[in-house]
Amino acid sequence: MRTIARPSRLTLAGACVALWVGLAAGNGAAAEPPVRVGVLAYRGGDHANAVWEPTIRYLAERFPERGAVMVPLDLSGMDAAVRARTLDFVLTNTGNYVELEARYGVTRIATLHSSRAGASGGSIGSTVIVRADREDIRDLSDLRGRTVMAIDPDAFGGFQVAWGEMLKAGVDPYRDLKELRFSGFPIDRVAFAVRDGESDVGVLRACLLEELVAEGRVDARRFRVLAPKTVPGFDCALSTDLYPDWPLARLASTPEELAKAVVVALFQMPDDHPAARAGGYEGWTVPLDYQPVHALFRALRIGPYRYLRDVSLVDVAREHWEWLAVGALALLWWAVHSLRVEHLIKVRTAELRAANRDLVHEMAERRRAEETARERQKEMDHVARLSILGEMASNLAHELNQPLGAIANYARGCIRRLEAGTLDPAQLAEVTGAIAEQAERAGQIMARIRNFVRKRAPQMEPTDINEAVQAAITLCQGQAHNGHVPIALALSDDLPPVLADRVQIEQVVLNLVKNALDATVGTAPGAAEDTRRTVRVRTGRDGKGRVEVAVTDQGHGLSEEARARLFAPFFTTKPDGMGLGLSICRTIVEAHGGHLWATDNPGGGLTMRFVLPAIEESETHDS
Amino acid sequence: MTRDADTAAPPPRTVYVVDDDPAMRHSLGWLIGSLGLEVRSFASAEEFLRALRPDQPGCLVTDVRMPGMSGLELQDMLARAGSMLAVVVITGHADVPMAARAFRGGAVDFLEKPFNDQLLLDRVHEALETSTQSWAAHARKARVRSLLARLTPRERQVAHLVVAGKLNKVIAAEINLSPKTVEVHRHNVMEKLEVGSVADLTRLLIEAE
Repeated sequence: MRTIARPSRLTLAGACVALWVGLAAGNGAAAEPPVRVGVLAYRGGDHANAVWEPTIRYLAERFPERGAVMVPLDLSGMDAAVRARTLDFVLTNTGNYVELEARYGVTRIATLHSSRAGASGGSIGSTVIVRADREDIRDLSDLRGRTVMAIDPDAFGGFQVAWGEMLKAGVDPYRDLKELRFSGFPIDRVAFAVRDGESDVGVLRACLLEELVAEGRVDARRFRVLAPKTVPGFDCALSTDLYPDWPLARLASTPEELAKAVVVALFQMPDDHPAARAGGYEGWTVPLDYQPVHALFRALRIGPYRYLRDVSLVDVAREHWEWLAVGALALLWWAVHSLRVEHLIKVRTAELRAANRDLVHEMAERRRAEETARERQKEMDHVARLSILGEMASNLAHELNQPLGAIANYARGCIRRLEAGTLDPAQLAEVTGAIAEQAERAGQIMARIRNFVRKRAPQMEPTDINEAVQAAITLCQGQAHNGHVPIALALSDDLPPVLADRVQIEQVVLNLVKNALDATVGTAPGAAEDTRRTVRVRTGRDGKGRVEVAVTDQGHGLSEEARARLFAPFFTTKPDGMGLGLSICRTIVEAHGGHLWATDNPGGGLTMRFVLPAIEESETHDS
Repeated sequence: MTRDADTAAPPPRTVYVVDDDPAMRHSLGWLIGSLGLEVRSFASAEEFLRALRPDQPGCLVTDVRMPGMSGLELQDMLARAGSMLAVVVITGHADVPMAARAFRGGAVDFLEKPFNDQLLLDRVHEALETSTQSWAAHARKARVRSLLARLTPRERQVAHLVVAGKLNKVIAAEINLSPKTVEVHRHNVMEKLEVGSVADLTRLLIEAE
């Protein structure tokens, strides 16, 4: 990002023009940070980069103004980043999404579309594997008393889906197993542990086994899949139902327009796009229904349904003590139950209160953030104004030096002659006249600057473009003069008036001429090149009868890149420019129903041109 | 005894002011004129160059930034032409490279506007002094050259051998002439160069180097 230049003499050469009015508009669109996409790196950062970086690059290409960055995160990092709202979007697994949705109000805007999707569109499930030679484990119910390794308690396909399936088979992995181990990310270890006999059973995200086989890292014949299921259209080994694939979700704080634009960009991604191939998907589709995921989580009492877990001990107790004296238990149960209810109410009330506090806190924080942003905007405007004032002050000082210096010389000369007794009255009269004249000249400079600086509402009136051009040229004569660059005027004298705010148009011309002077002064002076060192200002009519003003320099011209961004706010080729001048000029010209553009000169240098509708046409053109 | 160049008329003490701003130019003329010096003003370097005789001494007060040739370019051009003007540079917009260039070009001083009037007038005096001296040195050298131009090649040869401290006899042997003829050449040399002694002859020849 460009830094805001400290006020300095050359800063914003053109931005003398920077109308106080135009400034805010100029700043608004600027400096948008890149789109930040948090990506769950379930197999480590490198893998995530390989798989998702092309997708993020695709987005970056679709948002050339902003770009997009990928933020690889593990599960806890994801939670923290969403909480801190340092992301615009998250691309994460299904389970994590449901959790983030319930906790932070993230909303899915698109779901990955996979070639392997089943009829429901779902494509995520679990594969429960054992070593091929473990004849003793034939079904999920055989897991009781075995060692099971999964990826992570929070892994969706890598554990939770299988967990639901195990519960259905009557095995609670947290209670009935000999040992439940979690390998952590990256997840390849599960397959190795099963192969090497470190664990009896392994839980993998569906299709991961196929991926590992395809990468040549394991041998498919070494494994057997427990409780295999077939789902039409889904060709990976599977032990469970299928759930929707990864969604891309927006944060609550992400602007609506940005979310829309991102959805449009993703939906337009062709099936065979390199990003899709790298990500192992085939484009994006409308967000799928994640209700089955909620149902699963409710059954597992995890994620957003974790609070249900509090009841489970009682449930378990009830299951096992049913055969005891039913009457006594019923009494006890009632007692316990009412206590529980009260407790639950208390807990929920406390949670609600905490949530409320958080909300209030969050709102205050957001307000603070908004205020900070507003402050910064104001500061930026202020800096822009200061730098303009700085330049004006410098010009002013230089211009005033002449009459003031002359006055001093006259006065000192008078004193010396008085002392020497050589002052004759006729000379004195002449010189005092000259002093008065120079004082007036200084006064005129001040008045001109005051006129220029005064804040005013635009006044549209029939304006002679030549007069406006001449007034602007007068204001840059000083600079032209100092840089030894003559300004050549070619003003057409049969031009119709334009309906314009004369001061604004003067400021546009001033800005263009100042830029041209800066560009020309940059080239080395040399006697032979004298004709090159001229800035030409021409007025005339274009083919459509509009009034045209062209400012031509013989300076260094523009690179392709500079040309593309010429009118972008904060773009500048000057070492200490702010890059607001042309952006504001264009705003002004367009507000007048005109058009401002740049063309290369055949002999080098640049021509800036703008057209304004002539008054006799403005009635028909006005809409 | 050599007669000095000040037998020629001393040059008029003229100050030339070059500034494109009419008020600045006129007021500088008024200020410098208060010293009783002759001041001539010009609106551009080109106008000044057209009016100037190359061997004219004096003081030039010039602004730096002017349309056309700048004050510093003017200074360079005068130096290349062997001018004897001493230059005081004034500017409204000084920077270090500009000052460095002015001093490298031999400026008496480099003053930034607004300047103290006494300082300017002191520098003008100093410049006139410098210029007068270099003018005098130049005039002296010119006179010596014109004297030497009167000698025949043979006389010039004899003159150099005399200055080398050789006796007529030795000189005569060296260049195959009779001592009598050498004596005549020697006499002519002293006459033509208007010197009365070998010491004066030596000084004059050294000056001509």
